[in-house]
Amino acid sequence: MLDSLDLSTTPGADPAIEVRDLYKSYGAVRAVDGLSFSVPTGEIFGMLGPNGAGKSTTVEILIGLRQRDGGEVRVLGRDPKRHPTAIKRRIGVQLQITALYPRLTVQETVKLFASFFPKTLPVAKTIARVGLEEKAGDRVDRLSGGQAQRLSVALAMINDGDIIFLDEPTTGLDPQARRSLWDVILELKEAGKTVFLTTHYMDEAERLCDRVAVVDHGQIIAMGSPAKLIRDNFHEQALEFNQPALGNHVDLQTLPGVIRMQREGEITTLYTDQAPRTIAALMEASANANLPVSDMTVRQATLEDVFLKLTGRRIRE
Amino acid sequence: MKAFIQLVIANIKELLRDRMSMFWFIAFPIFFILLFGAIFSGSEDTTSFAVGVVQQDNGPIAKGLEAALTSAPVVKLHIGAQDAELAALRKGSRDLVIILPAGLSSAVRNRHRVKIPVYYDGTKQMSSQVGIPLVEQVLNQVEAQATGHPLLLEARPQAVQAVTLKEIDYLLPGILAMALMQLGLFSALRLVSLRERKILKRLGATPLPRGLLIISEVTVRLLLAMMQALLIVIIGRLVFGVTIVSSWYLVAAWVLLGACTFVSLGYMLVSFARTMESGQGIIQLVQFPMMFLAGTFFPISFIPGFLQPLVKAMPLTYLADALRQVITGNPPLFSIGADLGILLAWLAGSLFLGIRFFRWE
Repeated sequence: MLDSLDLSTTPGADPAIEVRDLYKSYGAVRAVDGLSFSVPTGEIFGMLGPNGAGKSTTVEILIGLRQRDGGEVRVLGRDPKRHPTAIKRRIGVQLQITALYPRLTVQETVKLFASFFPKTLPVAKTIARVGLEEKAGDRVDRLSGGQAQRLSVALAMINDGDIIFLDEPTTGLDPQARRSLWDVILELKEAGKTVFLTTHYMDEAERLCDRVAVVDHGQIIAMGSPAKLIRDNFHEQALEFNQPALGNHVDLQTLPGVIRMQREGEITTLYTDQAPRTIAALMEASANANLPVSDMTVRQATLEDVFLKLTGRRIRE
Repeated sequence: MKAFIQLVIANIKELLRDRMSMFWFIAFPIFFILLFGAIFSGSEDTTSFAVGVVQQDNGPIAKGLEAALTSAPVVKLHIGAQDAELAALRKGSRDLVIILPAGLSSAVRNRHRVKIPVYYDGTKQMSSQVGIPLVEQVLNQVEAQATGHPLLLEARPQAVQAVTLKEIDYLLPGILAMALMQLGLFSALRLVSLRERKILKRLGATPLPRGLLIISEVTVRLLLAMMQALLIVIIGRLVFGVTIVSSWYLVAAWVLLGACTFVSLGYMLVSFARTMESGQGIIQLVQFPMMFLAGTFFPISFIPGFLQPLVKAMPLTYLADALRQVITGNPPLFSIGADLGILLAWLAGSLFLGIRFFRWE
């Protein structure tokens, strides 16, 4: 009953999520190592980082599934450690692993989860919102990966919660399934929900998130809107090519326009603010050394480049 | 309440759609009852006696004795020469051979004592313990009629049950108890599997209280136990004519107590297991000795002395004993109060340890 009183506070006045100096260790491993951030109501906030960066642990602490070792956490103004049930009633959750009763149908599953909450959206409408109307009578174990993931998102929506937590919602999905799920997530934002999303897909974070926290080894290494992160780190284009030996013959960093160079396996990336001149010089150097370059691309810098710059690694191995 | 009902419905739907489990759920009791029922109820002749009579007198009293034996219940009379009848006894095709010696009728008329030789197979308990008293009873009756002295004292045996105890009456309650044990012990594995498949974790992200989940799981198992018990009792009745000597309610109460005890014991056992495999291993380790040592297939008195402490510690021993008493009226091994007390102790102990040690993650 106290929960409904809480709703009377003006939406947007307080941040939906507030985290200060969050710590969590598993034995000797520091999974979350001093995270601080805050998510205003109505925002899609993304945590971007490789596997093992501490994203899932953070989500599990926020939704009251796991106890933190230190720091302060407020979700909808409450501490999930002390009021886990009250918070669980007002949030929707999609966990990384789609774990459901295999022999129930889509409709039965949504109905079952609806029964756990005092107030819910209509079952059929929720199934329709994730585009599973035609699969409503199908058993969960006969769904494709994308359909199962959409069902999982439907379960996160069923109680019309104020914050929707989505832990790697599109991992393992084909591009079409990912895009249709993105539409569902953008609709959540339009409906005024706060969305907390983790991903290791750069394009997903860029496409969906108002703000992104780039995390690695349990720490935030950069935070801001995707455009701002890219702008802050790069005002140049990225020139990628495959010819590892070329760097041994020519000092690529001295080519005209090149600001910085990054080598990652076979791929060399030159960040340049004068792409045409750099390309011409690169071609010439390649011809002189008799080392043809392959797979050459020129693109705008992305969050992937931000991550690479900040950590020296690509986000996905 | 809404969540509880939905969980029970979901659980039952999951079960009904699991064809393999459903097959075993129904096939197991039918298979056991039919198989063991057929094995043990094969020898129908145990309740009838083949009695050989060697008639050397042919007087009225001797003829009267012959007639009385013919009409005696459960006796199948054969009349023949002494050598032939004794040979038949040695071969096992007679249980008793009675010689009615020459001069018997006249001796009785003259109030002389007559010795009537009765031969029996000393290795057959039934012959000596049931057959000889039967013959003595017939002799007394005939003597009373012949001499005109009525028998003043007469024992009137009255059967307490409608049917005599057969092997199936011993077996059926034991098989029911065993079925309840297996259903109960293995039911906890579902929770381990929910944990292993991260479904418990997913449910943990909802406001559903964990206790309610467990209660719904246990409710479904108890319903299954009742259904399986009903199946077993009905098969026993239709195929072997086993009837319940006490009331259905009393039997249902014992079935429920037994199911509760073994479900709790199952939860307690899996609370020490991390995976499905180890859970299965622990349960097998516990259920296997109980299957054979709790007197399901043979009385516990057959079990060697050094195993008796184990036999007397196992809950199945007491559930089987209680069910034998309330379903078919077998003579008790333990008082019904002892059965109740020990099952309740197991139930309480398992619940306590299960709640204390079960891991949710």
